[in-house]
Amino acid sequence: MPSLRWQPLTTLLLSIAGLGVATYLTITHYDTHVALVCADNGIVNCEKVTTSPQSSIFGIPVAVLGLVFFFPMIALCLPVAWRSADRRIHLARLALSVAGVAMVLYLVSAELFIIKAICLWCTSVHVITFILFVIIVTSAPVVLGVEHSREPGGRHDAVAGSA
Amino acid sequence: MAQQQQKGGGGNTPKPGGNTPKPGGNTPSAKDRSRAQSRPVSTRTPGGKQGRGGGNTPRPGGRPVATPAPRGLSATMIAWGAVALVAVVIVVLVVVKLAGNSSTTTTTYTPVTPAPASVVRDVSTVPTSVYNQVGVNIPSQATPNPPIVLSGQPPLTLSGRTPAMLYFGAEWCPYCAAERWGIVTALARFGTWSNLKITASSHTDVYPATPTFSFQGASYSSPYLGFDGVENCTNIPDAADTACNGYRALPGPNAQQQAVINKYSSPTFIPGATAGSVGYPFIDIGNQALISGATYNPQMLAGLTQSEIAGSLADPTNSVTQSIIGTANYISAAVCASTKQQPSSVCASPGVTAASKALKLG
Repeated sequence: MPSLRWQPLTTLLLSIAGLGVATYLTITHYDTHVALVCADNGIVNCEKVTTSPQSSIFGIPVAVLGLVFFFPMIALCLPVAWRSADRRIHLARLALSVAGVAMVLYLVSAELFIIKAICLWCTSVHVITFILFVIIVTSAPVVLGVEHSREPGGRHDAVAGSA
Repeated sequence: MAQQQQKGGGGNTPKPGGNTPKPGGNTPSAKDRSRAQSRPVSTRTPGGKQGRGGGNTPRPGGRPVATPAPRGLSATMIAWGAVALVAVVIVVLVVVKLAGNSSTTTTTYTPVTPAPASVVRDVSTVPTSVYNQVGVNIPSQATPNPPIVLSGQPPLTLSGRTPAMLYFGAEWCPYCAAERWGIVTALARFGTWSNLKITASSHTDVYPATPTFSFQGASYSSPYLGFDGVENCTNIPDAADTACNGYRALPGPNAQQQAVINKYSSPTFIPGATAGSVGYPFIDIGNQALISGATYNPQMLAGLTQSEIAGSLADPTNSVTQSIIGTANYISAAVCASTKQQPSSVCASPGVTAASKALKLG
């Protein structure tokens, strides 16, 4: 078993936090009586971002896509999933994180160059997604068995046998 | 992945040149045991040559054995490289954006120009059948926001006219932009517009450049009611004008108009309003009903021109038409309540009657 001590819990908590923010954004998207609590000082303008044409992709609100991202991510970041011997789970987690950060790059570009405004709530989701990406990608060599992980004290995990 | 091979008899892998454990179940000597305990832990060096010694036999069903890392780059280095690449891309985006902001930028706005005769004609001659067919069926995607009904208030008098209707908004305001379409089409059934202008809302605010009219310099004549259309601000950016949210100011309301705004824009009459603050647009229809904000979502008008919007008003199945005409029917119902249901051709029409019923107007 690979030595991942803090990654499972951290990614799980991050995914839950991301789901919370995505849920809030989805609610404010559909229920206009729920105000999006956000500063409005020119460049920071949540309403401008969340009502822009770029706030939907193929007719699906980006906030809903956030839910679609974080629900499976939570499942894939459960400790039992991190401990799983099934490579497909780890590959799925890796692929989802890559897809998520690709979407983040698109949305950040849209905010900066098309909408010309930043939504703080959206940025928090972007940050969460990027941190998840960092943890998952840098843990991938270990969980996929490509490389050793190093336990405290310098002893290697007992993995490779020799010829 | 290289498969772990079970050694005969299990136990430690012999170190090159070291003693080989005796096969066949012989017990290692004390010296061998000592050597095994002091033997360095097996290390895998880049290049793939596996170190000898150390390491337990993997448990059955355990993880696949790691393959030697390729020469030069380990998988971990590749992973961190990917992370660094994403971080660099984000930094580049931000830097490019900041560099672009530092250069001189021009903020555009849509000038106020006279409304084309065709647009004025189209909004003034919407078939009655369209009003009746639409009723108050504003599409749900337009997030309808009906007027607030007042009760027990005296008729509104403005500029010597009773009843009267007051509009207070701004040319930069996108919600005002949407609402003016409903006002113009509704009041066209009770009187005649002159000197209507067209423009668009702010290019940098939400729902940018929403196509609309302007009441700046416009006049309205009707035998049934008076109309005061007050545009408080232009849509021309002016960072120095903080009173108008960074847009150039217009003369604004007179004392009589301001008194009406002060009284009826308060939280007493508009739920959720902030005392001392007026939301755009603020519309008082004869003290029978108030409109605060837009009756439908300005997003409905995105990407259209005034000609396209006006030209579509004859089609009751068009969602933009439904948004505008539904709003117009609400406004008409409130006007009729203040004009004692005059003219009957409008006030008794099914569309206005439906709006009256929906608003529970007396």
